[in-house]
Amino acid sequence: MSPVLLQAEGIVRRLGGRRVLDGIRLGIARGQGYVLSGDNGSGKTTLLRILSGLDAADAGVLRFQGEQTLLPRYPDAWRLRAVYVHQHPYLFHTSVTGNIAYGLKARGESRARWLQKVEAAMDWAGVREVAAVPPQKLSGGEKQRVAMARAKVLAPQLLLLDEPTANLDADGRRRIIDLLASLCAEGVSVLIACHDRELIELPGVQRFHLENGKLL
Amino acid sequence: MDLLEPTREAFALLLRGDAELLQIIWLSIWLSLAAIALSGPPSVAFGFLLAKRRFPGQRSLVVVVQALLSFPTVVIGLVIYLLLSRRGPLGSFELLFSPTAIVIGYMVIAFPILVVFTVSAVQGADPRVYETARSLGASRLRAALTTLHEVRFGIIAAVVNAFGRVVSEVGCAIMVGGNIAGLTRNMPTAIALETSKGDFAQGIALGMVLMALALGINVVMALLQGEGGLK
Repeated sequence: MSPVLLQAEGIVRRLGGRRVLDGIRLGIARGQGYVLSGDNGSGKTTLLRILSGLDAADAGVLRFQGEQTLLPRYPDAWRLRAVYVHQHPYLFHTSVTGNIAYGLKARGESRARWLQKVEAAMDWAGVREVAAVPPQKLSGGEKQRVAMARAKVLAPQLLLLDEPTANLDADGRRRIIDLLASLCAEGVSVLIACHDRELIELPGVQRFHLENGKLL
Repeated sequence: MDLLEPTREAFALLLRGDAELLQIIWLSIWLSLAAIALSGPPSVAFGFLLAKRRFPGQRSLVVVVQALLSFPTVVIGLVIYLLLSRRGPLGSFELLFSPTAIVIGYMVIAFPILVVFTVSAVQGADPRVYETARSLGASRLRAALTTLHEVRFGIIAAVVNAFGRVVSEVGCAIMVGGNIAGLTRNMPTAIALETSKGDFAQGIALGMVLMALALGINVVMALLQGEGGLK
C-alpha cells in the first residue's frame, strides 16, 4: 500500500482577482499529522475546504489513494474518507449522541453498532458528562470536542481541522491539544490549520506554511 | 340590524352539532389538509433548490414565485375553471365542480406560500449545516433533509400560513367548486352564500369556527416552536 494518502498538485483558487492559492502542491502520508500555518487570509481554510470537497478550486489535480480527479470535480465517495471540522463547529439541533452518530447513520450502520462506537467516541473526547446538555448550550470547547468525536467516530482516513483551538480558554485549548496529540499518536492522518504555537510545535507533526498563496 | 339573535342562533347551531354545519366544517378542513399534504413536499423541495442551487434565471424565478403570492385567488380559480371546463384541455377528466377541483385550486394557491417561506428559511439557515452534513458523508438528499430539519420552524410556519390561506379562501373555491351543498360547499363559500341570503346565523357560526381554527393553529405552532420561535 502506498504511503501517500492524498496528493495535491497545482491547486489554484482565485477570489476577487487575487490568487489565494497559487499552484499548491502537497502530499499527505498515511498516519502522519501535519499543521498548516499562515497569516489570516493566507488561504489555509480555503485549502482545507478544497481538500474536503466543500469548496471548488479553479484548477488542480487531487489524488486520493491512487484515484485521481481533476478539480473542481470532487468524487462523492471521497467524502466518506476525508472529514472537515469547521473552526466554529455547527452542532445539529439534536442530542450530543445524535450529533456524534450522524455520520454513522448516514453510512447506514445498525443502531447497535453506532451506539457502541458513539459511546467509545464520547469517552475519547470526554463529553459523556455533557451528553444530556442541549448541544447549543455547550461551551466552545465542549462543542469542539463533540465535533471532534463526531469526526473521529467515522474513522476517516484524513481529518481536516480548521483552527481547532481558536477562541478557547486555557482548559478548553489544553483538552483539544491532548485529543489532537492522541489522534496523531494513533496514526490518523490529520491536517490542522492553525496559529497556535503549541500545536505547530506538537512532536511528530510535519509543518506546512502558506504565504502569498504558495506553500513553503 | 339585530346581531344578537343570529349570534345566539349561531351558538345554538354549534352547540347542538348541526349536521349540515359539521359537514361543511369537515369538508373545509379535509380539502385544505389534502391540498397542503399534496403540495407540501414538492413545494418545499422546490423552495430548497431555489434557495441552494445557482442557475441562470434563478433570481427571476424567485421574483415570479413571489409575484404569485399576490395573485388574486379568483384569477387562479378562473384559470383552473378554463382548464377543467368541458371545452378545456383537461375537460375530459370531468373534475369541474368537484372536491378534487377545489384541492387543485388550493394546491396552486398554497404553492407560492410554501415555496417563498421555504426559500426564506433555507437562505437564513447557517451554511455550516449543509456543509457539516456533507462533510460527515451525508448524501445531497440527506444533507438537504438535515437542513430542512434545522429550519423546521420556518417550514412549519410555511405550512401553517398555507393552510390558513386555503381554509379561508373563497374566490377559487366558488369558481371551481360551484358551492354545491353536501359536495363542495365549504366554510368560506357557505358564509358568502348564507350572508347573501340574509341567513346570518350559519355564517356567524362558521366565521367563529374559522377564527377558532386560525387561533388554534397559531397556538399549536407557538407550542411546537418552543424556544425556536420568535424572540
